[in-house]
Amino acid sequence: MLGQSGVPQVGSVTVKTTSHTGLPIEHWADRCLERIIYVAPDSTSIMKDQAEAYRANIRAVLIHYMTQAIKSDRTTLYNLFLKQGHRDMAEILRKL
Amino acid sequence: MAFPSDTLTNTFKVGLLQGLHDFRAAGNTFNIALYDDTTTMTAGTATYPGTGADGELAASGNYTQGGQALASVDPVWDTTAAICDFADEVFSNATFSAMGALIYDVTASNATVALLDFVTLQTATAGDFTIQFPAAAAATAIIRIA
Repeated sequence: MLGQSGVPQVGSVTVKTTSHTGLPIEHWADRCLERIIYVAPDSTSIMKDQAEAYRANIRAVLIHYMTQAIKSDRTTLYNLFLKQGHRDMAEILRKL
Repeated sequence: MAFPSDTLTNTFKVGLLQGLHDFRAAGNTFNIALYDDTTTMTAGTATYPGTGADGELAASGNYTQGGQALASVDPVWDTTAAICDFADEVFSNATFSAMGALIYDVTASNATVALLDFVTLQTATAGDFTIQFPAAAAATAIIRIA
């Protein structure tokens, strides 16, 4: 007999929305971290402390490189707009 | 009318036994479509109701009817359950409101998988509409078999 085991279950999603802007880098870094590091609620406190310290380090690294990636992409877009004769739009991007 | 609570559909459960759904990253294509609270879908809804049907959002504000393809993560065993996971799905530069979503298997003739209730009306205005999937763990994952 299967009992409660073997019953497929569904989890709950959460929805984040914004108005007139995107989500900040910190949001994506935190979401990324949740995929990379999962700390089980029943972990020992030593394990938890180590994992949290590691998580904080990785978070800083993620934020740094995500920021660099956005800057790189803006450089690409800046040059694309400039090449197409949209200097005003290119300047808006550069100043962001 | 309220959107139905989070549920795996009957078709999905039968489909599991028939080997219809391949959740591996290189497996079937799963879409997520968005709905308002006029939908009449239930756990008994067998297939995606069709483009724009049964409360699916209109094709406007950067929403494409039929929804967007999800990026699936290979199913694994976690402690006490087999789990599967999807990457968060972002509808960018969105201007719309939704009460819930339907995940369906495009590869398996649009067979429904799960109805997901957003609980309250979620609205984005020229922004990001992001569906965040729960932690991929035995007690929380989006689809799990204990």
